[in-house]
Amino acid sequence: MSATIPREHEPTAVVDVAASAVATGVTRNEPVLEIEGFSVDYGVGASMVRAVDDVTLRLDRSRVLGIAGESGSGKSTLVYAMTRLLRAPGVISGGRALLHTTDDDGVVTPVNLVEATESQLRKVRWSHVSIVLQSALSALNPVLRIGREFDEVLKTHRKEMTRAQRRARAVELLRLVGLTEDRLDRYPHELSGGQRQRVMIAVALALDPELVIMDEPTTALDVVTQREIISELATLRARFGFAMIFITHDLSLLVELADEIAVMYAGSIVERAGARELYEAPRHPYTLGLLHSFPPLHGERRELTGIPGSPPDLADPPTGCRFAPRCTFVMARCLSERPTLRELGDEGRSVACWLFDPASESRVPVELSLAPSARQTVGEP
Amino acid sequence: MRIVARRLGLYLLTAWVAVTANFILPRLMPGNPVQTLIGKITSQVTPAEIRAIRLSFGMGFKQGVIAQYFTYLGQLFHGNLGISITLGAPVSSILRESVPWTIGLIGISTIISFTLGTLAGAMLGWTRGSRFDSLIPTATFFQAVPYFFLGTVMLLVFGSNLHWFPVLGAYSQSATPGWNWTFIASVLRYGELPVISIVLSSVAGWMLGMRNMMITMIGEDFVLMAVAKGLPRRKVIAHAARNAVLPSIANLSLAIGLVVSGALLVELVFNYPGVGDLLLQAVLNEDYPLIQGIFLVITLTVLAANLIADVVYLVLDPRTRSEAAV
Repeated sequence: MSATIPREHEPTAVVDVAASAVATGVTRNEPVLEIEGFSVDYGVGASMVRAVDDVTLRLDRSRVLGIAGESGSGKSTLVYAMTRLLRAPGVISGGRALLHTTDDDGVVTPVNLVEATESQLRKVRWSHVSIVLQSALSALNPVLRIGREFDEVLKTHRKEMTRAQRRARAVELLRLVGLTEDRLDRYPHELSGGQRQRVMIAVALALDPELVIMDEPTTALDVVTQREIISELATLRARFGFAMIFITHDLSLLVELADEIAVMYAGSIVERAGARELYEAPRHPYTLGLLHSFPPLHGERRELTGIPGSPPDLADPPTGCRFAPRCTFVMARCLSERPTLRELGDEGRSVACWLFDPASESRVPVELSLAPSARQTVGEP
Repeated sequence: MRIVARRLGLYLLTAWVAVTANFILPRLMPGNPVQTLIGKITSQVTPAEIRAIRLSFGMGFKQGVIAQYFTYLGQLFHGNLGISITLGAPVSSILRESVPWTIGLIGISTIISFTLGTLAGAMLGWTRGSRFDSLIPTATFFQAVPYFFLGTVMLLVFGSNLHWFPVLGAYSQSATPGWNWTFIASVLRYGELPVISIVLSSVAGWMLGMRNMMITMIGEDFVLMAVAKGLPRRKVIAHAARNAVLPSIANLSLAIGLVVSGALLVELVFNYPGVGDLLLQAVLNEDYPLIQGIFLVITLTVLAANLIADVVYLVLDPRTRSEAAV
């Protein structure tokens, strides 16, 4: 970490750079986050449970990565551990998480969050990576006014700002998410669920972070508000150019917002592909099952079937593929050998399934060999 | 402000009920103070003397109960609580002498105990599982020991044997009561041991309460958010503590309410001239006016403490404001 250089408070300048980058379609293929061989355990010794198992991910600047999976798949554990927010008994048992932080002069410094000290973490947190939680009601301190949420962040990380400047910045941020200035003097319980979540998003953007993590930010909201917030997020991302990790169990929601989607099952990534490709042409049987568990927001109706069975007990996982006991296409090999995430030919996507093993004799079922429709501009459904 | 006014009205009503009960209860008891006093006089009592005694208690006039009640209320408003039988002085002036001692001693002790206990509890909750956890059984031990025993032992060891602290009374006999430095210094010096003993015996409650609330709060999302925001540790703890302290504030109000009445044992052990000591004497001597006066003071203190706590709670927890407005 370089010494703290006070960042110029000029949001408009930042906007222009980011907006032009997105508008001209220039994708800067610089990574903002690289996770390698990342594992997280709960507990130690005999009662140990591996909640995240050898996950490798890369997220480029200004891109949106969706992480999908059912409850207990390790998606939240992954991001909380990566940002070092995971509480005991969760322990990072291996791997690294490199966050490429950019300072005011455009100098990029990679910080390994796994090994960062408390003071290094404090500098990285919120300035470079911020987070929005599922329940804004519990994420906002119930006895403090909304304005304090902005104020304390700016006061901690932008020491040169005066009280009036902090207030002005808070008002500006609230406007971005469609809220009026008077909300600043309100308490969390006086706002509606949608307003609270908007406040959280505004607070998350307060310091122009490179990466914003969204942990099911719309799950607690009604569908109408959910849609509004998703489209607002897309607009904000296009304007400010922050990268985003969006965690949800709702794949149909992700396809609207994400550039890429990683599907997690029982602690591992089972499939990773472009959002549209994954949505229209899933390769992993679990992804297919997930898609059949939610009604699509657009397009033709599908029969909702769900996935039979329940996720494995991670304290005693099955020997082979962890999805094998629930899989419709299970083969003998699946029960003994565990497939790893591998690139799928030239499709630019990866899947952890024996069906797609080049050496495999078996034929890929028709449901899993659809071709995605012609690719359109990313982010425009 | 409307909420505060409404609360105030409620408390006034409660105060009236208490005052009325204070009027009715002695009249429901068998016997009367005149008989008690006559019983104490060993020589022959003439009817003229009985009449004089009745008159001095204001019982000589034939008055209906309702009229008596209004006379009683009127006297109350003028601060006239009657004459103590045993001490022969107006109850109000007796109380004026003893109440400040009790409020000073127990009030200061309660505030010290609350502050220390809450701060320690916040730290213990935050560093749960550290070696500081051994503070809890230690503090609980002192709370579990009966106060009478703890106080006596402390008096014996630190006062009589080691002579670290002065014993007996609230100030040195050589000091002249008044606003002079010698007297104030003497009061403080004599107060040390009682205050320490009270704090020692009550700090565990505050500590445990705060620690447990703190542990609950640490699991809350907003504390996680405070960490995620990169706030310094001190501010993260403040986020949790600000919410964890709310139940302790409620308990503090109850404790302050008991400041006036709950000091009996302390005052006995340390021979402190407070209300507890006075109440004991009054009960032993069946000094009705004095008992009534003390009860009245206790009731009003509890009510006032609750009112203050309500207001403080409204200030500290915005959620109660809107709930109260419903």
